[in-house]
Amino acid sequence: MTRFSVPFAALPFLSLFLVSCGGEGAPALVERPLSDSEKNFRLVEKSMDRFRYSSQPSADSSGPSGGAATGLVFDTPEGWTKKPDSPMRDINLTFGANGEGECYVARLPGAGGGLAANVNRWRGQMAAAPLSEEEVAALPTRPLFGQPARFVSVDGSFSPGMGTDQSFPDYRLMGLILASEAGAVFVKMTGPKTLVEQNSAAFDQFVASLTVNSN
Amino acid sequence: MASPSSRAIDWSPQHWPVALYRFFTSFKLATIVLVLMTVVTLLGTLGQVDHGLHAAKEKYFHSFYFTDRVLGIPVFLPGGMLLMLVLFVNMTLGALVKVKKRWKGAGLLISHVGMLMLLAGGFVTNQFSTDGYMALYPGMSSDRVESYREWQLEIVPLSKDGVAEKAWTYPAESLETMRSDEQRIIRNESLPFDLVINGYSPNAVPVPTSAPIAAGVIGKEIDGFKLSPEKASKEAEQNLPGCFLEIRPRGGGAPIEAILWAGSYRFDPREKPMPFTFTVDDQLYGALIMKKSWTVPFIVKLDEFIFERHPGVMTARNYESRVTRLEEGEADKPLEIKMNEPMRHAGYTFFQESFGPSGSQPGDEMFSQFAVANNPSDQWPLYSLIVTGVGLSVHFLIMLVNFTTRSRKRFSPSPASP
Repeated sequence: MTRFSVPFAALPFLSLFLVSCGGEGAPALVERPLSDSEKNFRLVEKSMDRFRYSSQPSADSSGPSGGAATGLVFDTPEGWTKKPDSPMRDINLTFGANGEGECYVARLPGAGGGLAANVNRWRGQMAAAPLSEEEVAALPTRPLFGQPARFVSVDGSFSPGMGTDQSFPDYRLMGLILASEAGAVFVKMTGPKTLVEQNSAAFDQFVASLTVNSN
Repeated sequence: MASPSSRAIDWSPQHWPVALYRFFTSFKLATIVLVLMTVVTLLGTLGQVDHGLHAAKEKYFHSFYFTDRVLGIPVFLPGGMLLMLVLFVNMTLGALVKVKKRWKGAGLLISHVGMLMLLAGGFVTNQFSTDGYMALYPGMSSDRVESYREWQLEIVPLSKDGVAEKAWTYPAESLETMRSDEQRIIRNESLPFDLVINGYSPNAVPVPTSAPIAAGVIGKEIDGFKLSPEKASKEAEQNLPGCFLEIRPRGGGAPIEAILWAGSYRFDPREKPMPFTFTVDDQLYGALIMKKSWTVPFIVKLDEFIFERHPGVMTARNYESRVTRLEEGEADKPLEIKMNEPMRHAGYTFFQESFGPSGSQPGDEMFSQFAVANNPSDQWPLYSLIVTGVGLSVHFLIMLVNFTTRSRKRFSPSPASP
């Protein structure tokens, strides 16, 4: 029955097991030569460049309808005014008699914190209760860059934050969020409720005109 | 399979060697392992919905054990790796060693060898195979393959033009094991500073502190940015890790802090990686998180990338690459790599995988991406199936011969008794 040696038979399996468990004890930093294809680096001074924020093309506020250098092309709705872009805004537009209505496009690398977090951040700015994940997932979609983006519309008292504790009663926030692992795009319009209502068709026209410049 | 054993196993200490031998050779063990493998395969397949392909493979099939919830009930189960090891031992000892060697059982013996080859092939694939990609624009050539999912931290001494000849690498195998609340101090005598890595996140995005979303991000602010950990993507290759790095000059001086993010590497083969740069002892250094990479023993030059779209839409209809394989001591070899027509050479297989850049329009110059696989046991499943098939055929023939012989004996007229 036990003529052959059990330990001998177990040796191959033991060695296989040891191979699978190996790898510990490697030096912390390993010096290696770089091959020709690895030798060149781009030197940038600011984190803004390194994290691809400033390299993202921004809207050209001087062009007639977006611009070749912007990365984004769009039609400016009638009565809307282009404003200079800011570090976080690729397109910055205002509307209304005193420019009290605002619409902007922002892009973030990665999921930008996720869809639900951003929907509820917007709702928080309007003093509205947060939505559950299921409620966020049930929000209607509208096309943005040819993909289904979640549409958000909230009425309330608008607190823009950004270092100010001002709030604006009877406002409406209307926006689209396209969140994917590849990147997040936000189109957000805010203003007095009646003004936003009057400009909702212009908002749709603006969103439909948004494309990525291929040049 | 191991032969059945109906006797109870005596687990008293003096009988342990025999008891272990009988346990690992038992037919019951083989049956239980096969049932568990079915369960694990089912859970692993369903788990891909929630975890994604790579994470599900790691959790269910490359593990020794795992916990899961089945119909809301928490369960603790052996992982695929443990089950396959046990089955390998069981089949080897039970079917090849313990079983009596008879001509009658030759077919089954051969088919067991085939199954063992399949298990061994899976182990070799798990331990020794590599998979990565190579992306090239027409005119570009390379022998370097990059990993889809593995990122490592690199320190490079830079010239003023951004050229480095060598690097100090903190390997992916070490970096990936870091927890977000863990801090590691790394020292190398060749470098005039120590490194402190902390706040590692397998998927993260740097957020400008001017962005409203930054208010909700806990953690250090460096150069106007915070590092926001993100939920890991189901598609592991989409994850972009990030961490905080502190450089502590050993010769004195203030520590230098930085956020490192994998997105500073490159998304396009023409891009150059953008390291965080700092100067210690008048030497410019760069620090960055970059893809783990390795070389193949030949160079692939992309001569032409043919890309066709369906009329009127952006969807790809066909794409293929015309390449030249350059190898020392060999004549340059022009080749085509198409869908389902890979280039196999020196143990490596180049598949036409995808193209880029994303969002490219008709007329834009595009790059071709090859999936590059190196698996020493690539063909073992085929060989094992052939061996198993031969074994079963031999077994069938033996059984057939036995049957016909017995039948002939049974029905042959017995000599009339006087």
